[in-house]
Amino acid sequence: MATVAGPARGNAIGEALRQARKAADTEYGIWSWIATVDHKRIGIMYGVTAFFFFLAGGIEALVIRLQLATPNGSIVNADQYSRIFTMHGTTMVFLVVMPLSAAFFNLLVPLMIGARDVAFPRLNAFSFWTFLAGGIFLNASFFTGNIFEGRLGAPDAGWFGYATLTSRQFSPGHGVDFWAMGLQILGIASMASGFNFIVTILNMRAPGMTLLRMPLFVWMTLVTSFLIIFAMPVITVALFELMFDRLFNANFFNPAAGGTPLLWQHMFWLFGHPEVYILILPAMGIVSEVLPTFARKPLFGYPFVVLSGVAIGFMSWGVWVHHMYTTGLGTIANSAFGISTMLIGVPTGVKIFSWLGTLWGGSISLRAPLMFAAGFIAMFTIGGLSGITHSIVPSDYQQQDTYYVVAHLHYVLFGGAMFALFAGIYYWFPKFSGKLLNDALGQVHFWLMLIGFNLTFFPMHISGLLGMPRRIYTYSGDNGWDLWNLMSTVGAFTIALSILVFMINVAITARRGDRAGSDPWDGRTLEWSIPSPPPPYNFAEIPRVHALDDFWHRKYTEDAQGRPVPIPAGAALAPEPEHAEGGHGIHMPSPSYFPLIAAIGFPLIAVGLIYDYAILAVGAAVLLVGLYGWALEPATEE
Amino acid sequence: MRFLRARRIHLSRALSALLVLGLLALLLAGCETDTPQNTFDARGEVAARQRDLFYMAMWPAIAILILVCVVLVVALLRFRRRSPDELPKQVHGNTTLELTWTIAPALLLLVLAVPTVTAIHDLGRPPRADAFHVNVTGIQWAWQFEYADLLDDRGQPLTSLGELHVPTGREISLTIRASDVIHSFWVPKLAGKLDAIPGRDNVMWLKADEDGSFSGQCAEFCGRGHAGMKLTLIAQNQEDFQAWANEQRGGGG
Repeated sequence: MATVAGPARGNAIGEALRQARKAADTEYGIWSWIATVDHKRIGIMYGVTAFFFFLAGGIEALVIRLQLATPNGSIVNADQYSRIFTMHGTTMVFLVVMPLSAAFFNLLVPLMIGARDVAFPRLNAFSFWTFLAGGIFLNASFFTGNIFEGRLGAPDAGWFGYATLTSRQFSPGHGVDFWAMGLQILGIASMASGFNFIVTILNMRAPGMTLLRMPLFVWMTLVTSFLIIFAMPVITVALFELMFDRLFNANFFNPAAGGTPLLWQHMFWLFGHPEVYILILPAMGIVSEVLPTFARKPLFGYPFVVLSGVAIGFMSWGVWVHHMYTTGLGTIANSAFGISTMLIGVPTGVKIFSWLGTLWGGSISLRAPLMFAAGFIAMFTIGGLSGITHSIVPSDYQQQDTYYVVAHLHYVLFGGAMFALFAGIYYWFPKFSGKLLNDALGQVHFWLMLIGFNLTFFPMHISGLLGMPRRIYTYSGDNGWDLWNLMSTVGAFTIALSILVFMINVAITARRGDRAGSDPWDGRTLEWSIPSPPPPYNFAEIPRVHALDDFWHRKYTEDAQGRPVPIPAGAALAPEPEHAEGGHGIHMPSPSYFPLIAAIGFPLIAVGLIYDYAILAVGAAVLLVGLYGWALEPATEE
Repeated sequence: MRFLRARRIHLSRALSALLVLGLLALLLAGCETDTPQNTFDARGEVAARQRDLFYMAMWPAIAILILVCVVLVVALLRFRRRSPDELPKQVHGNTTLELTWTIAPALLLLVLAVPTVTAIHDLGRPPRADAFHVNVTGIQWAWQFEYADLLDDRGQPLTSLGELHVPTGREISLTIRASDVIHSFWVPKLAGKLDAIPGRDNVMWLKADEDGSFSGQCAEFCGRGHAGMKLTLIAQNQEDFQAWANEQRGGGG
C-alpha cells in the first residue's frame, strides 16, 4: 500500500494513491474498514472500540470491588489502587460513554434526517481514529511502570486530577502526562465530531424535515454537540496549563509561586458539568425514541421535551460550583449554585414525566429495548433525586466525597446512560446487522443487570452516609461499612455476569439470529424505511418529510377519534424499494487513508513531548502528511 | 398460557414492590446506629442541622421515587400489548399536565431552597470572637493542630498530631490549610467537611455537645496515604481539658 507519501509529486504517487483508494472501495476486507468514510461503518467501529474499553474499565471496577469487599483488603496496594480508580473513571467517561454516544450519533443521525452521510465524512473518520489513538495512548500509560514488579505507570491523581496532586513533585513518573495528553487527543476527536454533527443536522436534513420534525435523538445530538464544542476548549486550556506546569516548570497551579490550585477545579468543573450532560443527553434521546416505538404512541409533549433538553444544555453551564461546595467559596456562591442546581431538576423532571406520559395509554411491547428504557427511567430518577439532595448545600458538606456521591453518579451514568445505551443497542442492532438479538437472553441480561446494579450501588448511599470517604484503598472493620461493601462487590460481579450474557447473545445472533426485515419493531422514524442493513448510500431516493414520526404516518392514518388506521399496502409509500441497482447512479465519497495517518500523528507528538523531541518531530511530520494528503486528494473519484 | 402470563405479572409486580421496600429498609437500617463516622448520629449543633436538612430532602425524594415507580410499573402492566395489531389512541400531549409537572416541582424546590439558604448562612457565619481557636494543617498524610489559645512556657502555641483536643460545649473555630496537596477536614458526627487547600485559609466552626472522642478522616484524595489520614477529635470538659493542656506544657510543648 503506497499510503505514505508526501504532497503528491509526479504521477507515480498520485496513481498509487488512486489504486489504494480503489482497493478500499469495496464492502469487504480490512482495508475497506481502515479507509472507510461511511458513517455506518465508523459508527460500528466506535461502538465496538468503546465496548472493548468498557470491558477494560469494567475489569478495573471489579479489581476495585474485590479490594473493598472486606476490610483491610490486600488485592492491590495503595499505589496500584490509585492508578486503577483513576483509569476506571477516565476510561468510563471518555472511552466508553462518550464514544458509545458517538457511535449512535454516527449510525443514526444521517438515517434519521434522511441524508446519505454526514457533512464531512473524512473528518468523521478522523474523529474515530483520533479517539482510538487517544484511547490506546492513555491505556499505554499502564506499561510505563514496571508491570512485572507490580508498579503500574498509569495516572494516579483521579479522573478529576486536582492540582497540586498532579504536579511533578507529588506525582512523579509519567502517568499524569499520559493522562493530560491523552485527554487532549480525545478532545480533538470530540471537537471534530461535535462540529461535524452540528453542520450535518443543520444543513443536511431531507426536504420537509423542519427542526420541530426532527426525531428527539437528533435534537439531543445537536444539543450535545454544542455542549461539546463549548466545553472541550475549557478543559483544553486547563490541560495545557497543567502540561506547562509539568513540562516547563510553569506555575499556573503552584501556590508556592503564586499559582492557585483552585483555578484547576473551576476550569475542570466548568467543563465537567456540561460533560455530565454530554453523557446523559444522548441517552435521553435514545429513550425518547425507544418508548414511542414500543408503546406505539408518539412522544408525549414533544415540544416540551425538546425545550427541556435545550434548557438543560444552557443550565448545565451554571452549576459547576456544586462540585466545589466544600472548597470555601463563601455563602453567596454556595447559595447561588445551590439554587441553580435545584432548578436544573425541573427540566429533568419534565422529561421523566413525559416518558411516563408516553407509556400511559400505549400498547406496550415488553421487549428488551423497552425493558432497558424503563429501567433507565427508574434508575435515572433515583440518580436525579439524590442529585437534588446535593443541592441542599449544608447537607452536601457531609456527603461530598463520600460513597453517597459514588452512588449518585453511578445511578446517573450507569443506571442512566448505560441502561439507555443498551436499550439503543437492542433497538437498533437489527437495523445495522440485519439480525434481531435474542429477546429471552436480552431479558436475562436486563434483569441480571438491574439487580446487580442496585445491589452494587444502592448500598453505597448507606456506606457514604455512614461516613465512608471515596478513593480510600482500604478501611478498618469498626465503621459498620463491611456489609454494604460486600453487597456492592457481589453486585458488581452480577453486573459482569449480565454483560457476559449480552456478549453470548451477540455471538449467538451473529451465527444464527432471526433475520430482521427493514422494520422489525413497527418503527416511526426514517431509518426503518430503508433495508437492514442499509445500503452504503442509505436512501435510494432522498425522502420527503411531511410530519414528525414521518415513517409512522406513511403506515398509518388516524380516524376521527385519533385512533391509527393502517394504510392498506400498495396505497402507501411502501418501504423504499431496492431499485437503482445497488445505487450505481449515486455518488458517494471515496475512501481515504489520510484521516488515519493524521490521527497517528497525535500520540507520536504526545510521546515526543514526554520522552524525546525527536519523536515529536516525527509525529508532527506524520500529522502534516496526513492533513496535506487529505486536503489535496479528490473527495470523490472522477 | 394465560395462567402462566398472569403469574409472571404477579411475580414482576411483587419483585418491584420488594425491590423498593428492600431499598427503603436498607436505607433505614443504615441510619440511627452509632458507628464512628455515621452522619446521622450527630453530636453537635452543626452536624445536627445538616442531618435535618438531609431528611428534609430525603422524604420528598422518596415520595417522588415511589410515585414514579408506581406509575411506571402500573403503565407497563396495564398497557402491555395484548395482541400484535393493537393500536392505541395517538395522544400527543396535554398542555395542562405538562405545565403542572413543570411548575409543581419548581414550587417544591423553592420550598426546599428557603431553609437551605438560611442554613448556608447560619452555618457559614464567621466564628464568634470568643471561640476556641485551632489552626489545622493537612500534610501528606497527617493532620497537625496548633492551639492558638494555649501557649507553652516559651510563648509558643501548643501543637498536636492526629488528635485534636477541644473543650466540650464551646464553639471551636478552625482555620484550615494544607502544606502540600488538597486535603479535606471532616469529623462526621460534628460537622460536614471543609477542604484544606495549599495557599488558602478556610475557616469553619463547630461545637461538640458532649464529651467523647469523634473519629474523622481526610475526605479529599491526597495520594497513597489518603486512606490512613485519620484524626480523632477529643472533646473534654473544662477540667480534663485543662489537665491535658497542662500535661502538654509539662511535656515540653
